[in-house]
Amino acid sequence: MLEIKDLHVNVDGKEILKGITLSVGTGEVHAIMGPNGSGKSTLSYVLSGREGYEITKGEILYKGKDLRAMEIEERAAAGLFLAFQYPIEIPGVTTMTFLKTALNAQRKARGEEELDAVKFLRLVREKAGPLNVSEDMLKRPLNVGFSGGEKKRAEILQMALLEPSLAVLDETDSGLDIDALKVVSDGVNALRSPDRSMIVITHYQRLLNHIVPDKVHVLSAGRIVRTGGKELAHELEETGYADIVEA
Amino acid sequence: MTASIEEQYLEAFSALAPQGDPAWLLARRRMARDIFAAAGFPHRRVEAWRYTDLRRALAKEGYVPAQRYDGPLAYDVETVGPGAAAFGDVERHMLVCVNGFFRPDLSSADLPEGVSIKPLSEAVKETGFEDFLTTDDNLHPVNALNSALMQDGLVIRVEAGKDAGKPLHMVHVTTSAGASAAHMRHVIALEEDAKLCLLETHLGQGGAGYLANHVTETHLGEGAALTHIKLQDEAKDALHVAANNLRLAANAKYYGFVLALGARLSRHETDAVFKGEGAHADMHGALALRGKQLGDISTYVDHAVPGCSSNAHVKSVLDEEATGVFQGRVLVAKDAQKTDGRQLSNALLLSRDAGMNAKPELEIYADDVQCAHGSTIGELDETALFYLRSRGIDEATARSLLIRAFLDEVLETIPLDGVKQDIGSQIDVWFRASALAGSETR
Repeated sequence: MLEIKDLHVNVDGKEILKGITLSVGTGEVHAIMGPNGSGKSTLSYVLSGREGYEITKGEILYKGKDLRAMEIEERAAAGLFLAFQYPIEIPGVTTMTFLKTALNAQRKARGEEELDAVKFLRLVREKAGPLNVSEDMLKRPLNVGFSGGEKKRAEILQMALLEPSLAVLDETDSGLDIDALKVVSDGVNALRSPDRSMIVITHYQRLLNHIVPDKVHVLSAGRIVRTGGKELAHELEETGYADIVEA
Repeated sequence: MTASIEEQYLEAFSALAPQGDPAWLLARRRMARDIFAAAGFPHRRVEAWRYTDLRRALAKEGYVPAQRYDGPLAYDVETVGPGAAAFGDVERHMLVCVNGFFRPDLSSADLPEGVSIKPLSEAVKETGFEDFLTTDDNLHPVNALNSALMQDGLVIRVEAGKDAGKPLHMVHVTTSAGASAAHMRHVIALEEDAKLCLLETHLGQGGAGYLANHVTETHLGEGAALTHIKLQDEAKDALHVAANNLRLAANAKYYGFVLALGARLSRHETDAVFKGEGAHADMHGALALRGKQLGDISTYVDHAVPGCSSNAHVKSVLDEEATGVFQGRVLVAKDAQKTDGRQLSNALLLSRDAGMNAKPELEIYADDVQCAHGSTIGELDETALFYLRSRGIDEATARSLLIRAFLDEVLETIPLDGVKQDIGSQIDVWFRASALAGSETR
């Protein structure tokens, strides 16, 4: 699904990622853990194509294609999805309008038929229920006045609607209490499938108790310093990052 | 010595001797002409026109009086949709003016009961009509010019207690190709508790560089309510200079909205005076401009009596080298306690070369009031754009979503759904043309 080879990335002329190599197979869930400032979010933005992240060396292949050659929206239509650590508030655009525009833009880009209002509404209701996303939230401007938990649930609703092949979840657990974490993780787990890969970026191990990864990578100062199975997350919880980072 | 542009202008119009004017009007025209000759066209050193240099914009051409045109129009003003006359789906009565002259033959004949409409030339012959002409020519050189040269206009009156029902739709079309000028004077007078919805569309053909000058005298009696929505979509080289003199008696309500899309230079000025307590005026608007267009929405509000409220909110979207202007003043007299006066300008610059000049002012002599003014100028939020694109929405659509979202705050105030939708679709048409122009230059 995703092949990253010796990836070097500069932000404002400063090297943040210093040679990342990572391979995520179809249907696999990988966790990327690491202390603040290790480059976790940079990796998620590079994958989604945000401006200001300059690839100086290395390559990213997504479904065998060079990701760098694709525009932000092309990546999305090709099935790449980033759940934001801080979802953006957009006053004036209702959540419903946004979801419909996004879904139909992707369907159109893939040459599929766009959904009419009735079909779309039925689909949204079906997906929104399990995530506790209310009709009221759907009518409100996107993320405006949403609580931290509501924003994250809205992100997962987007993911459920857009059905990506590769989802990158950037600190999806941040700002969530235990109950909200459960709703969000259940939402994510419901989307696990043999056709869908996920990269779960997190600082803490607690999310990985709910979303159990196939592999765990530890990122430090722009490099992957350790890779292991799900037990690596537990080890980190006990020892902290200091031992691994310094090793 | 060469003649000034004012002398040339008045000379060109001297042949336009008004027929059958009553004595008071002839005297008024002479006086106004003298005021204008002394003051000249406003320019940068006239504070109220500081950012809108009309004199300079007019200096390019020698203007001649617009000619009455009685032939058929190139299109049916009643049915053409967005991009032309607009409001096609709204049930309404049509009032059509061509080249500055009322055309009864193109207008609706079946007016609602209690509503009367006359051309200016007839109305001026009525006793007491001069009381409706309240513009202070001394303070407004362009209005003085209008008083001197006004050749036609619509005088709309609604009797006490009558609700005019379906909106009246004034359509102003200019067909002349050259540098012609038309000066129209309208009167909208609502007696006590009368209600009216007035729509206005201003259109031109092609790139013609005409001047359309409108002065509207709006008189709202006690408890009267006027909804007044204007779409200014003049030809791209035209000049559009409009002033609305608004007088509100006690408990009167005015809702005004203007969308300015057209003209090389345009100004929509509202001068509101509260004459009785408990009245309210909304004076909202939006500018959507590109190229080298300049659009000016200015609002002067005189809270002369206590207990009135006014709210002016203008949103501007400026692309390429366009310039937006918002000037305004809320004046609160010494005994005008419990006044609530608000002015806000928000501008979105889509290009590095676009600009906005905003100068809201408060002048308050009372001590128990709520007044606020503000101005913001910003760019499209790149983070929001990235967020939308990361969900698969292409850049042009994402930009238009954000621009509509920016404007929606004022569009949402429009009290008629059909009209609101139509104003929205005018903006969408504007945006598509802008995106198209953008992609050609990129």
